[in-house]
Amino acid sequence: MNKQAESQPGHPQQPTHLPATSPLQAGQPPLLEWHDVTVAYGRRPVLWHIDLTITTPCLYGIIGPNGAGKSTLLKATLGLVPTAGGRVQFWGQPLAAVRPRLGYVPQRETVDWDFPVNVMDVVLMGATSRLGWFRRAGRRERELARACLDRVGLADLAGRQIGRLSGGQQQRVFLARALAREADIYLLDEPMAGVDASSQEEIFAILAGLRDAGKLVVAVHHDLRTAARWFDAVALIDMRLVAAGPTATVLTSSNLQQTYAGRLGILDELSDAVARGDRTS
Amino acid sequence: MMATWVSATPWEWLAAIGPMHGWAVATAAVVSACCAMVGTVLVVRRLSLLGDAISHAVLPGIVVAVLLGGRPGDLGVLVGATAAALLTVALTEFFHKQAGLPEDAGVGVAFTTLFALGVLLVTVSGSRIDLDPGCILYGILELVPFDTVEVAGWEMPRAFVSAVVVFLVVGSGLWLTWRWQVFTAFDTEAARAAGVPTVAVTVGLLAGVSLATVAGFEAVGAILVVAMLVVPAAAAELLVKRLHHCLLLAVGLAVMGAAAGYLLAWKLNTSAAGMMAVVLGGEYLLAVLVAPQQGVLARGMSSVLYAWRVQCEDRLAAAWRAEEAGQSAPLPASLVAAAAWWWLRVQGRVEPAQSGARLTSQGRRDAELIVRSHRLWEAWLGRHAELPVDHLHPPAEWIEHHLGTRLRQRIEADLGRDVRDPHGSTIPPERG
Repeated sequence: MNKQAESQPGHPQQPTHLPATSPLQAGQPPLLEWHDVTVAYGRRPVLWHIDLTITTPCLYGIIGPNGAGKSTLLKATLGLVPTAGGRVQFWGQPLAAVRPRLGYVPQRETVDWDFPVNVMDVVLMGATSRLGWFRRAGRRERELARACLDRVGLADLAGRQIGRLSGGQQQRVFLARALAREADIYLLDEPMAGVDASSQEEIFAILAGLRDAGKLVVAVHHDLRTAARWFDAVALIDMRLVAAGPTATVLTSSNLQQTYAGRLGILDELSDAVARGDRTS
Repeated sequence: MMATWVSATPWEWLAAIGPMHGWAVATAAVVSACCAMVGTVLVVRRLSLLGDAISHAVLPGIVVAVLLGGRPGDLGVLVGATAAALLTVALTEFFHKQAGLPEDAGVGVAFTTLFALGVLLVTVSGSRIDLDPGCILYGILELVPFDTVEVAGWEMPRAFVSAVVVFLVVGSGLWLTWRWQVFTAFDTEAARAAGVPTVAVTVGLLAGVSLATVAGFEAVGAILVVAMLVVPAAAAELLVKRLHHCLLLAVGLAVMGAAAGYLLAWKLNTSAAGMMAVVLGGEYLLAVLVAPQQGVLARGMSSVLYAWRVQCEDRLAAAWRAEEAGQSAPLPASLVAAAAWWWLRVQGRVEPAQSGARLTSQGRRDAELIVRSHRLWEAWLGRHAELPVDHLHPPAEWIEHHLGTRLRQRIEADLGRDVRDPHGSTIPPERG
């Protein structure tokens, strides 16, 4: 398939408002790079030829309609679903070499919130995830977990069973668990979904704080109204990369038209045919 | 017989059990503790059905190991059984992923096939092995004390020794990998993303299940093993809300159920395995009744308390409205209302007066807030919900018991100053 005809992949972008003391220097590998990544469920491709580079720490949004493959891209990035082609690199290195430097916040609905653990238990999962086999949480891990709970404003709910939290609180528990990994790149799947407006602002403030501390935050997001305000740079995705770059230049009406109305059915139809092992009509 | 049993003192009772039954009880207790430990994790991972499957599917592994010269309770048999268990899981995955079968159906196909294969192997090999299909289903707990081995000079039942070994292995395995077991069970994808070897953690758990199952197989049979895996864990998860508490409680419930079930069966002269499963089921029922949040009693209690609060608040509000209209408080019209009046008097919110009763100053303040909530809600609904005026009272009669200070103020701000309710009454101000 001709990549150029299907999309106009973004080139390495540097959000304009970022401080000039960007860590990117000539010859230094980019923070995060997807090189021609294709993902298929079974034989059905759901994400075609993603070619995208993030060079500086920023708040990076992955935007697109339902079924566009946003979450899939995140999961492929973390090796949770296999790629059918292409590669992902962090600081020029493969996933296996950098896993401890990554934090992941999955979608809130993916877990059973009636599970018998309390808030502290969940955050400790992040704090202790670097310890190897047979090691148990010690004082350092507990203090770290407590500090992370404090950062998301849930310090006084440490002992509460997770099923008795509101949606926004549950999302912040997940965020605290990722913070407890003390990562350099955070990948979040729909961190604002099902969260009330004031919790959204709090979560956004925490993410902005991470960015200001020099971390890269990549978040899957579907709400265009807030995307423009929150993200420094975005990638518009609809089974392929439609456009990528600084938010103001990417969220244009023609790009949105292409993303939200412009799947043209071609990739859909092609995916069906590939899944069948057949030709399109 | 029943009479002597009931009248005996505990000590006589214990002495009457004797070493034979004592060993049987001890074996049953250790076996059920093993099963409850792994069962706790299985149940929260929604893998109960897989535990069921494993407990049946280990049979061909046991038979093959026995045919190759192992003896029930030996290490070789444990290995064979674990291999068969993992084969079940692999087959299930295969049916699910490759053949597109729903996962539960895949489990159903895999374990019934393997179990049937085991039954065939037992019957075909006939006298060459001493495994009886009936024993496999129901166990031979009563015969456990007669097959003994010597350990450090002590003669002990073989099944007890292997159960203790399995308990130590499974227990320490869980203890050492607990952190990862919890993370994987709660959120497998995030655990994988964080570098937890989730496949190894799961395989380890399933190997533990098959070990516990094999330990239980000989003693209590395939059917009861399923009960021991699932029932105490399910009961414990109703009662406590952290996974390691669940595990400890499940072990306690399982041991209690095993001991009580065995002794009851002995006294009533019936199947030990069957009675243990019945006792475990009884424990689960009890847990359903007394569970702190979702329990039948707790929910019943909270609806009764709610109804009582509503009743008391309605009495207060009625008295306030009567006062507003310059009348005396209405007499209670029902027994419940009379009880509510009595309770309000005990609380000092109403006091006796010449014509019946009147509100105290505390009672007046409380009543005012309820009437205020009622009228605010009527006004708000009237403005925002397009309801005819005569439909506003019932919803307000309900919501007046649920509005707090902050929301009342928000509603008031939304309505603006000096608002009356849709019936023209003034809305009392907030003065808590």
